[in-house]
Amino acid sequence: MNTIKMNLEKLLKGYKSGWVGIAEDFSSVIVSGRNLKETRKKASKIKEKIYFFPAGETYSNYIG
Amino acid sequence: MKFSYSQLPGITSKVVLVPLVPLTFRYKNHDFATFALVDSGAVGAVISTVIADELGIKWREVPAMIGYTLSGEFRAHLVENIRVEIGDAEFLLSLNIVEGISPFRCVLGQRDLFKKAKVIFEGYKNQFEIIFKHN
Repeated sequence: MNTIKMNLEKLLKGYKSGWVGIAEDFSSVIVSGRNLKETRKKASKIKEKIYFFPAGETYSNYIG
Repeated sequence: MKFSYSQLPGITSKVVLVPLVPLTFRYKNHDFATFALVDSGAVGAVISTVIADELGIKWREVPAMIGYTLSGEFRAHLVENIRVEIGDAEFLLSLNIVEGISPFRCVLGQRDLFKKAKVIFEGYKNQFEIIFKHN
């Protein structure tokens, strides 16, 4: 069984704010925007499944 | 399904890795794909109001309840029968829509994912596995 690998630290490198859309295979960011609305609008023109995640957040509060 | 733990942006320590699972929420004619923290210490699923708005959930119309964590109180709105897809698996869950948390916040916990699947954490391999029940 293949392990699904993703590394948000690498994927979001260079994105300091806004939201990004990540490809279904988690290999790259394929769309980005200043906010979620803009990112979703751009993503609506792409048929591939896209996972949305904000950039530039403080993620350390994920850690308990 | 096996998933690697992920590093988080801005946290360069390779020691700090988290079990994030890609998923899609569906509610009425809305859907939103993102990543959720698989948290065996969480009672139930949590999303931010930002994600709830994207799903078209009228969470402001749901009475708020007060929840408690180690770091204090929070206001949450419980919404039931939200469809979630993880890989080929689908199930319904109840979501706590929590006010004032970071937009990316999305957590699956004991009342939802852990009732539907066996979850095996293999921290020494930096990976975890989700095996859904077939009933």
